[in-house]
Amino acid sequence: MNETRLDLTGLPQLSVLFKELSNGKHINRLSDPELWLALENDQQAYQNLFAALGYTLRIDGRGFAWFQHEEVSSSVSKTSRQLALLFMVIFDTQADAGQALLRFSEWQIDRALLVKAWEQHQELLYAENLDVEGLFSLLETASRFGFTRLQTGHWQLLPAVCRYLDHIEALAAQTRDAEPLDEVMLGEPLAHDDERDDAL
Amino acid sequence: MPNPKSLIAQLHKHWDVVEALSRLSRDMPAFEPDQVLNLLAGHSSHSGSDDHRANLRSLTQSDVLQWLPRSEHLQLNPLVLDFVRGLTREHELGLSAVLKARVEAIKAATDQLNAGLQANDSDQLRRGAARLSDLFRQISLQLDQDRHAILELAEKAKASDAAIPLAKRYRAVLDAYDHYVEPMNAMMDSGVGGSFYPMLEAAEHALDAATEALSVRGALYTHRLQLRQVAYQAKELRRLGRLVAQQCADTLLPLREEARQHNNLTAAISCTLGKIRKQGLTRALSRRAELPPFPAWQRERRSRINVGDDIRAFMAEARHYEPQPADFPEAAPGAPLDMSGWLDEQAMHQALLENLPIDNLMLWLQDRYPLVPDAILLRCYHDLVRETAWQASLQADSTVTTLSTVRVTYHAHRLLPISDATRETQSP
Repeated sequence: MNETRLDLTGLPQLSVLFKELSNGKHINRLSDPELWLALENDQQAYQNLFAALGYTLRIDGRGFAWFQHEEVSSSVSKTSRQLALLFMVIFDTQADAGQALLRFSEWQIDRALLVKAWEQHQELLYAENLDVEGLFSLLETASRFGFTRLQTGHWQLLPAVCRYLDHIEALAAQTRDAEPLDEVMLGEPLAHDDERDDAL
Repeated sequence: MPNPKSLIAQLHKHWDVVEALSRLSRDMPAFEPDQVLNLLAGHSSHSGSDDHRANLRSLTQSDVLQWLPRSEHLQLNPLVLDFVRGLTREHELGLSAVLKARVEAIKAATDQLNAGLQANDSDQLRRGAARLSDLFRQISLQLDQDRHAILELAEKAKASDAAIPLAKRYRAVLDAYDHYVEPMNAMMDSGVGGSFYPMLEAAEHALDAATEALSVRGALYTHRLQLRQVAYQAKELRRLGRLVAQQCADTLLPLREEARQHNNLTAAISCTLGKIRKQGLTRALSRRAELPPFPAWQRERRSRINVGDDIRAFMAEARHYEPQPADFPEAAPGAPLDMSGWLDEQAMHQALLENLPIDNLMLWLQDRYPLVPDAILLRCYHDLVRETAWQASLQADSTVTTLSTVRVTYHAHRLLPISDATRETQSP
């Protein structure tokens, strides 16, 4: 047991940080510069403190931080998947438009863009019962967890979206590697996951 | 052969026009005379068309502009073009092969220098040094121009309309990276593979050795000075080379990464979207141990119930509770209870049955229970009238009775036993 003394008076943003993070929110350098600065300045102290409370604080150099959870409820993973779909259709639409994908925080996500994204991916979104309004409400959900924020008249994607991009890239790489494998082998862990979700 | 002085004078006089022409030369290799005349008119609006023609004539005579063979077109003198571009930092990116050839020429010049030193041939020595100096100057000039060209490429790529497809926007950047920066990096590699630093180092050593040999030999000061200056040039070139290579890579690398990342990401997204299309969202994006964790979160449940501090204090008190003995109070004589409201309704019933028939129930009640409050008396009256143990009949005349607090005006009820009542109804 390593003993570290924590001076809580030196962490003035602690209560706000903890409230936001434990609510599942991502802290972004872009949208919460004060909190981010506090995190950056006393990174080790926060990490120790939160670890002692049973939380895993992850800080990504691209400008976002979050609490890592291993076990999540099925409703959360459903929402998260829908968010992944939302971001993917937005990115795909923007890629078609020739936008620089890694400068996604400069995009203005407005109704016109969502309508375009919806039209391009109707089939997929129908299957998930998502219409344009549904996409809007997903953006709002995303803003509660620090993936987006509402600017004047449009939504802005925040750096935390990189978490989804990382996952998607890894998934695609894995899919490419697993291409020659049997479909059954891919299916196995999935069935297990579904069961677990149902049980929850 | 034009007179250099008149060329410079024309350049001085029409610098704006020449600068504009050099910029235009990027897109058009040659100009029509009318285009040049328009340009001249645009830059000196106050003079007439004859003046412009005269200006054009003097520009061609001084060889700033040259007639292209077999056509009526004009082009900027390549020397002038190079000069103007160098001054205005509008250079195109040079060929890395040219740079490489020059770098390799260092070797030959160094050999010449060494040979001169060996053979004690001061003329060969001097020529070698002059060649080296010339090469160093050309290389550093090209490096400097290329640096600006690369910066401009990057700026153009970044500043161009974001709606232009990325591949198009960055084509020049990618080309520059692959055809210029990569070979240059390979050349400037400080390890075994690079040729730039070893050759420069060899040249520096040769120059230092030559300077030393000359000073030992007691050669002319001007010769030694010349060698020393070339050695300084070599050192400066080493610094510049490192700087330029670094700067070019720093400028182009992020853009190249962006373009590459873009391709990776779009490929990944398309691949995943395809998977979702085939397998559905839930299966396609299920959690797997070997992947980076899927973004998920947990909202802290705020509804947890804890024992509050008040309760803790209370329980602590309860645990240490010591009963306080208290004397049971003695019986004290109380005030006599007001029993007037209490009526034994069963006894009343009985008495009523015994006293039947009764002509006026109200009077009977008042007579029998004078202390009972009016409200209770009236309630009893109403209850008794509805009883089935006797027959109640309403009298035709109204009666007025004064109770203890109120006066009632009513049609009195007469109560008869059931048997009498049936007889009464039967008899008429």
